[in-house]
Amino acid sequence: MARERKRPDLSPADLPMTPMIDVVFQLLIYFLVTIRPIDVFTHLEVARPSPEAQRERLEVPKNLLRINIFKEGFALLDRPVSYEELDRQLTRAAELDKKQSVLIMVSSYSEHAQLIQVLDLCAKLGLTNLSVISTN
Amino acid sequence: MRRKAEEIGINMTPMIDVVFQLIIFFITTIDLQNKDMDIRLQMALAPHGKPVEAKDPRTIHVDVDAQGRISILNQRLTLAVLRTYLKKAVAEYGQNLPVVIRGDIRTQHDAIRAVMDVCAEAGLYTVRFGAIKEAARPGGG
Repeated sequence: MARERKRPDLSPADLPMTPMIDVVFQLLIYFLVTIRPIDVFTHLEVARPSPEAQRERLEVPKNLLRINIFKEGFALLDRPVSYEELDRQLTRAAELDKKQSVLIMVSSYSEHAQLIQVLDLCAKLGLTNLSVISTN
Repeated sequence: MRRKAEEIGINMTPMIDVVFQLIIFFITTIDLQNKDMDIRLQMALAPHGKPVEAKDPRTIHVDVDAQGRISILNQRLTLAVLRTYLKKAVAEYGQNLPVVIRGDIRTQHDAIRAVMDVCAEAGLYTVRFGAIKEAARPGGG
């Protein structure tokens, strides 16, 4: 009697759930495994020469590209340049030698975005030998 | 026939609930590394930078906000505390400890310089600057 009463309740659940759940799990596992988050962050590596090394380096300006960053703009080898001009000049330099030392002298009052801009440019051109020096 | 159907009727619902909970837990915790940053930081764009490859668990992220305030893991620090912290970290992990400085775009270089100087004092002569490789592109444009 009790069984007779139970049967109508069970009948809507008679649909086999197991294969559906199996498939859902397979899909979930597939997406979990294949998901690759976009590379949102990047790290720009620079050397920070110690004060003693800094003096030596300044004495030997052999094959050295000096970029100044001021609040007002950029300068390459003491000549004021726009960002586009800096890009052009550095591209030419990078074509000759990618191992070339680049000394980035940053003024205290410049904004951090400017430094990142220059470092990004160096990353684009493949210049890896970078040093950052702060000036007043 | 009827008996067979009853034997199969194990209650799957709690198990599925638990599995879903586990999946949600793993999805939300999988990328916690980037959640430790100061959300008010507006980082500069560097589309040409190399993506962060091997994530070194020792990496120290130093955040410098627009006013030049320093924080690690959302914890505001003074320069003196940062110095002690870095020295301790260097003593423990060595001088090739990766340090990432994440500065706001409006931060004056003075503040960044102070952090770099403290790093150099602790013996860390190579620092990295954090930047954003890919901006969120509204409308997929």
